[in-house]
Amino acid sequence: MKHYRAHLLICTGTGCVSNGSFKIKEALEKEITKQGLADEIHVDTKGCNGFCERGPIVIVQPEGVYYQRLKVEDIPHLVKEHFIEGRPVEKLIFVPPKEKQSVPNISDIEFFKHQRLITLKNRGRINPEKIDEYIAFDGYDALSKALTQLTPTDILSEIKTSGLRGRGGGGFPTGTKWELCHNQKKTPKYIICNADEGDPGAFMDRSILESDPHSVLEGMIIGAYAIGASEGYIYVRDEYPLAVKRINLAIQQAEEYGLLGDDILGSGFNFKIKVIRGAGAFVCGEETALISSIEGRVGEPRQRPPFPIQRGLWKKPTTINNVETWANVPNIVSRGGEWFASLGTENSKGTKIFSLVGKITNTGLVEVPMGIPLGDIIFNIGGGIPGNKKFKAVQTGGPSGGCLPMELLNLPVDYQRLAEAGSIMGSGGMVVMDEDTCMVDVAKYFLTFLLDESCGKCFTCRKGIQRMLELVTDITEGRGTLKKLELLEELAQVVKDTTQCGLGQTAANPVLSTLRYFRNEYLEHIVDKHCSAGVCRQLFISPCQNACPADTNAAAYIAYISAGRFEDAMLELLNTNPFPSVCGRVCDHPCQLKCRRNQIDDSVAIRSLKRFVGDYFLQSGKFPKMRVPDTKLQHKIGIIGSGPAGLGAAYFLARLGYQTTVFEEHNVAGGMLAEAIPESRLPNSILAQEIKAIEDMGVEIKLNSKIGVDISFKDLMNNGYDAFFVAVGMYGDRSLGVEGEDLLGVFQGVDFLRDVNLGKPQYIANQRVAIIGGGNTAVDAARTCVRMGAKEVTIIYRRTQEEMPAFLEEIEDSLEEGIKLITLAAPVQIIGDNGKVTGIQCIRMDLDIFGKDGRRKPVPKKGSEFIIDADVIIPAIGEFADIEQLFEGLEVETWDNGTIKVNEAGQTSIPNVFAGGDVSTGPATVIKAIGAGQKVAESIDQFLFGKNNKTYPWRIHKPADVEFDMDAEPVEFSRQKPNRIPLEKRIKSFDEVEQVFSKEIAIKEAKRCLRCEMEVELLKEK
Amino acid sequence: MIKLSINGIEVEVEQGTTLLEAAKFLGINIPTLCYNDGLSPYGACRLCVVEIRDGTASKMVSSCTYPATEGLKVFTHTESVLKARKMVIELHLATCPGSKIIQDLASKHGVRQVRFKQEYEDCINCGLCVRICEEQMMAKAIGFVGRGDKRHITTPFDIKSDVCRLCGGCMYICPACQLRCHGPNVQEEGAICNACLNLEPPCVDYFDDQMCYMDPCVVCEQAADRIPKSER
Repeated sequence: MKHYRAHLLICTGTGCVSNGSFKIKEALEKEITKQGLADEIHVDTKGCNGFCERGPIVIVQPEGVYYQRLKVEDIPHLVKEHFIEGRPVEKLIFVPPKEKQSVPNISDIEFFKHQRLITLKNRGRINPEKIDEYIAFDGYDALSKALTQLTPTDILSEIKTSGLRGRGGGGFPTGTKWELCHNQKKTPKYIICNADEGDPGAFMDRSILESDPHSVLEGMIIGAYAIGASEGYIYVRDEYPLAVKRINLAIQQAEEYGLLGDDILGSGFNFKIKVIRGAGAFVCGEETALISSIEGRVGEPRQRPPFPIQRGLWKKPTTINNVETWANVPNIVSRGGEWFASLGTENSKGTKIFSLVGKITNTGLVEVPMGIPLGDIIFNIGGGIPGNKKFKAVQTGGPSGGCLPMELLNLPVDYQRLAEAGSIMGSGGMVVMDEDTCMVDVAKYFLTFLLDESCGKCFTCRKGIQRMLELVTDITEGRGTLKKLELLEELAQVVKDTTQCGLGQTAANPVLSTLRYFRNEYLEHIVDKHCSAGVCRQLFISPCQNACPADTNAAAYIAYISAGRFEDAMLELLNTNPFPSVCGRVCDHPCQLKCRRNQIDDSVAIRSLKRFVGDYFLQSGKFPKMRVPDTKLQHKIGIIGSGPAGLGAAYFLARLGYQTTVFEEHNVAGGMLAEAIPESRLPNSILAQEIKAIEDMGVEIKLNSKIGVDISFKDLMNNGYDAFFVAVGMYGDRSLGVEGEDLLGVFQGVDFLRDVNLGKPQYIANQRVAIIGGGNTAVDAARTCVRMGAKEVTIIYRRTQEEMPAFLEEIEDSLEEGIKLITLAAPVQIIGDNGKVTGIQCIRMDLDIFGKDGRRKPVPKKGSEFIIDADVIIPAIGEFADIEQLFEGLEVETWDNGTIKVNEAGQTSIPNVFAGGDVSTGPATVIKAIGAGQKVAESIDQFLFGKNNKTYPWRIHKPADVEFDMDAEPVEFSRQKPNRIPLEKRIKSFDEVEQVFSKEIAIKEAKRCLRCEMEVELLKEK
Repeated sequence: MIKLSINGIEVEVEQGTTLLEAAKFLGINIPTLCYNDGLSPYGACRLCVVEIRDGTASKMVSSCTYPATEGLKVFTHTESVLKARKMVIELHLATCPGSKIIQDLASKHGVRQVRFKQEYEDCINCGLCVRICEEQMMAKAIGFVGRGDKRHITTPFDIKSDVCRLCGGCMYICPACQLRCHGPNVQEEGAICNACLNLEPPCVDYFDDQMCYMDPCVVCEQAADRIPKSER
């Protein structure tokens, strides 16, 4: 046998082959010969590695270097670098998106590291088309052991001991099934391998057949011997040509070696296997339908009992198992049932293969022990969700399975626990969904699939699915009612109960399981006619408008900007938002995250465009005045709090003609906008100008009037106001709850920012500052300290950097400005000397199990305490609603966390008192507060004048009358970044960091918009 | 012989007897649409569902196809069965509101509203015609084509069949397309005829007092539901 210096193992699973792995092989061989390395380096094709999305994959053994996504043109460079220069080629190596550092060795890659390979043990290491390679890795060892040393009863008891359960979905104990069939008196008996894998997103069986076909054959021969069957069938779908080819080849080779056919291994046992190709009907995966398909009849399920083990193929006893189950058998026979039973959980033994697909970083096939937490599969092996999106759900078990939410990430994956959670193991498909997935739409997708794939025999399945689809479609298109939802649930239950086969009985699962965990999304579609994932196209104008809490039709004003019609753009903006310049600076821009341009290159810079328009009018002094009714209504509205929610409500109420008075506790209006956001992000003059515009509309703002202190709420209520809106925000700083918080040098985050903003002197210069928290307040405080000349600024956060709630660009900026970030650490105590802070003791945190919000919980690591020297400590871990004083003498219902309880209209337990913004929702964003102001203005109007079908002016979205050629290619122009002042200047002053777009750039940027709102017009025409 | 209990009554039947036949033997009425004495059972309409229990586990099966097995406990008129049947009838009615047989079933089972979009089809794919053609007329002139919502009954390749003798058996047996209901509101969206509401309670047809073992007898309650309040 020839020895080589290195072996190049090329993956030839379907994924890699379709990406051209045979071409890569050719190119490699050519290049190696060209370089004269043919005697040193051997190129061979191997089975599927499972990391299918990264194909074509080549692994260099023995060092185990992993190359991915190879192209023919990479090959000369690769051969030269790796085999002549001895340097692995960096750019072809796997780079985990988060760590950004390449991992050359396959055994170090997270995707492979956490797997436990048993069924897939031969993957990527044997050539599936060569039986000798299978035998070289102990193949057919189990068969010879079974035929020469064991009786059929021995094997049955071994399989029973192993606790192996059917891997096709049902999970029936394999040993029991075999024994029942073994005990049948009728002969001949048959065995069938079910390779009619049809779940969307599942490809375990295909991969086994392609990468290790002999393991299936060996399992079947052993099974046949144990059961007493003389003939076996492999029912494989014709859409798997590579699998069909390789299994046929494997049968041929096994026959040549005397491992199949008459007198196998001289034992006197005869067994034949035939391959039947299925035409791809999903229902043929159901065992009775499959049998009828093999018999040449229509693939329609029939009544069970009699079960196939009693009356199966050709009316004879038949054992039917799926590919993965058969492939498990040789391992159990050679290593013993007890060994197998030692893996997994109490009632689910061994390992299971899952196909990890959907919105996941590492797409592919993984084998893990039963009982592994769901979150470990998705986040450790799968690498989490790509594109900074949030995990929403994972669908297990194909169309018949269920969608599990993030609350269940700690769920151990086994048959029982999945069933308890309302899903099933199924054949092992795992479709991961992120926040951009609409669960109602998911139900719709699976129902559409099932409507097509139902055999149609049972009326309740055929018509039931059709009717469920009708109802779900109604909901996604805005015609849903609560009555229809009730009907949908009732129908789903009946379909589940009354249909004959597995397909029909589980056909309602897409609906039932999404309803179980995501009822809110259904209600959102039905009641609010809103799809927060931005999928259900009939419910909104454009994805950006849909994502905006204040309902701003960004597509329209961007269109006006692109046409240079800035006044129209400004009016469109002001229609829904009184603070364009403020939001153009500090909005968290949910619109940009949903921008479709993201799929081409990068989102349109919507926030910067908004700022451009706002600033354009502020600077020119021609700020358009919003129209207010000439004759004012007699109704007076009192608004408490002058933050974005309060002023927002005042603005919208004024437009309806109400007389509004805003009460502000401090000496400046604007709430958190004025107090907690530093000048460098939002200059106070900008805010003041926009507030002035609101005052010009007739809104009265009373500064320095703290309700509950200067005048009691009760008294205010007798002052002739018809309704109140409480929008006092969250002002109480939450304490750390550690020792030493009363020391000199500890400032609360919001207090500190307010003092700085309102001009109170703070002594930060040359001090070492430690800030605790990961939100915008923490980052703002840190950047403020830098500007005030602090010697050293450190942010301490208990989770990872990716999990910090502060805006991404703010975090990056702060790092640039020299702020130190210590993540995965939490304070234990503040240390002081003589009543003055000298440092803070922290402890390292480990990430443990998943919390309800889908993030891993940080837990302290024992003995890992460390001390950071500091003169100033600024805790900024959040705020709470401080409303006791405000409501003194009044009874207002609150939630446990202290926020005010309100109904959908924003009404509190006192009928004419409404609440909104942070004080009722908990800490949120500026734009959400403005949205709350909008909603409350409508609620107050309806409270005073009764429910009406009035369309409020800010809900009217006229499409922009700007020409757009929908058939033209998108404008090729990369996203523009606003100019920023240089770092040196930045850290020394409170000058605004980000500069506004120039007119030319703004127009160019606006032309990048794809005008998604035009699509709705098209839909309407249809 | 196989021993089983239906609604608590022990009964012994021959091997191969279906639950529907066993229930019939006891005089228990289970509604059917796709079942016919002279044809092989098919289990398509799902109207004949009954509940079978094994310990605490219970499930619904179609009684026309499910074989009687030793020790099986069958319940034909439990609350969930009646609820399911009503929904099955409502689904049928939404598909074929013009069928008198289905309209009558609706009246008999207290189905008073159709909450789905009316379809005015004249086939429920019950397969009676396919079976009569094959099993009684020995012609096999028609059969099922397609899958899912595209499933329908036709001749091979949709052309006139050479083996069809125009016997009319298929039309004779059809529950959907032949006998029309001429009730008052059938053409109206979501409306059902219910002209047969004055049908006597179904139990009178099949049970006398001595035979009634259900406590309370749910069948009559269903019937009572249909009598206007003033007359109760």
